[in-house]
Amino acid sequence: MQSESARMSTTAELRFRVQAPNARARATAVVSLDAASEAFVRQLAARTWNQARFLKAAAPASAGAMDAEDGWLWTIDGERTSIADEVTRADQVIMVAGPGGHAVAVTAIGRECSRQRVTTTGLIVGAAEASDVEISRTLAQLRPWSLMVVMANTDEYIGDMMVALRV
Amino acid sequence: MLRKEQNDLLTQTGPGTPGGRLFRSYWIPALLADELPENDCPPVRVKLLSERLIAFRDTNGRYGLMDEFCAHRGVSLWFGRNEECGLRCPYHGWKYDVTGQCLEVPSEPEESGFAKKIKLKSYPLAERGGVLWTYMGDPATQPPLPEWEFVMVPPTHTYTSKRLQESNWLQAMEGGIDSSHVSFLHRGDLNSDPLFKGAKGNQYNLSDARPVFEVVESPGGLYIGARRNAEEGKYYWRITQWVMPSFTMIAPRGNHSVHGHFWIPIDDETCWAWSYDYHPIRALTDAELTAMRAGKGIHVALEPGSYRPLANKDNDYLIDRAAQKAGRTFSGVEGIGMQDASLQESMGPVVDRTKENLVSTDNGIIMARHRLLRAVKALIDKNVTPPGVDLEHQKVRSAAVVLPPDQPFKEGAREALIARPDVAPASV
Repeated sequence: MQSESARMSTTAELRFRVQAPNARARATAVVSLDAASEAFVRQLAARTWNQARFLKAAAPASAGAMDAEDGWLWTIDGERTSIADEVTRADQVIMVAGPGGHAVAVTAIGRECSRQRVTTTGLIVGAAEASDVEISRTLAQLRPWSLMVVMANTDEYIGDMMVALRV
Repeated sequence: MLRKEQNDLLTQTGPGTPGGRLFRSYWIPALLADELPENDCPPVRVKLLSERLIAFRDTNGRYGLMDEFCAHRGVSLWFGRNEECGLRCPYHGWKYDVTGQCLEVPSEPEESGFAKKIKLKSYPLAERGGVLWTYMGDPATQPPLPEWEFVMVPPTHTYTSKRLQESNWLQAMEGGIDSSHVSFLHRGDLNSDPLFKGAKGNQYNLSDARPVFEVVESPGGLYIGARRNAEEGKYYWRITQWVMPSFTMIAPRGNHSVHGHFWIPIDDETCWAWSYDYHPIRALTDAELTAMRAGKGIHVALEPGSYRPLANKDNDYLIDRAAQKAGRTFSGVEGIGMQDASLQESMGPVVDRTKENLVSTDNGIIMARHRLLRAVKALIDKNVTPPGVDLEHQKVRSAAVVLPPDQPFKEGAREALIARPDVAPASV
């Protein structure tokens, strides 16, 4: 008798696989952490997504000047918001930064995500043209707060990644 | 998630398909050299990229790879007589050389020149490092023979095996760059498998079960770094190499050999999983070779006389529920290679990627698909040679290193990620 493993992995059996949706849309917050990444996030915001909010963080002098409630976070359209509220409504947070180490807000965002146990991904845009020193500065900021860090040579990757993640 | 048309583009590699054209840009492993062990030995049936071919080694030691079927009445030349510098069809005696050129048609007068008008489609077949490589693309753009380090080191330093995998190549290859599954599926094997155990790096693995990942583009594909905590605030990095379209090299452990895979489509529903182990600066020991031949490490035990794994879907992969329950294996299947293959085959012949729900740690897979799609588009639209063809892209190594916390691993392991003759691999 044919084993169940052999039978169920045939092309013929594929037509019996359940066709019902197997997941609900995940809410995603996409945050521009610095001026270098804002244009990319703005372009992404102009596209159609399932359930995404696009945000930009201010660039204060230091991470110590930020806390969860002090209003340093805006929607990409310019409305003030709070990181606690944004993380509460998100299933995952994608943080986007350019090279050079200007992603000061990552600490406050990462800390809030850690508190609420929300997954973080860090993306460095413009990495292909940046020096190792500039990349290193941004990595030092992103690494402690990102479950996954990605450096793509082309900035179109962010959009493809978001589609792949069903954002 | 991929749209259906994207999934089709990457998973279909037959003649005339975009994905097929991508694979036909490279020299790909076709057979083990041992499969054609001597001059005038029996021919071997080979199916690659959805083409049925026959491989043989003629009286002078030349290798040939050509259409499996005789141009006369379509008989399989696997029944052929390999004699006097040609493969002769046993039905009516038509004879072909290693280029597919018909040499004799006994029923026709030799003076008629009829035989010269008959030629089977053929591809070059060349030995390097114990592997017979073929190039199935446009002869005008044939690249030089591959220079992967595992085929360039002395024969005593390297071992290669192959096994049949009953799934599309892409889901198999994606398993090779999916570093996050190791902590689950293979957790029972790090301290027991003879080709892994004893390395200091294993302790980092076991003491930090939640690695953090970084994906960085390389000239030929991707570096996929898995980061764990080491001493004094430093990070232990395991850096996997992926080179397009389907070469992977896994980070080494201690002084063990370095290993990795090629996944080569047989057709759209099966592929060859090639597994290599080598050490750049020393011969493999008898104990290592014995373990590899026995199916340890990334190799698998095979059904006698075939390349089908002993544990396969017809016997439910010999799943051992007691071992699963006791934690000796996480899935109940024994051996790293079959742990991977069993789950990948269970997805079905071609996994439906429109249904999947990827997460952040799948970025290695997402980026690989992104690069493959980009390369196919550039090849089809603008005839751009894809990454991985350039010999410099093949001179790579995986690495296991300890680095300061703010250092990009690409920079910190820059030298370690390049294959250099007579230089030991960077390993912990």
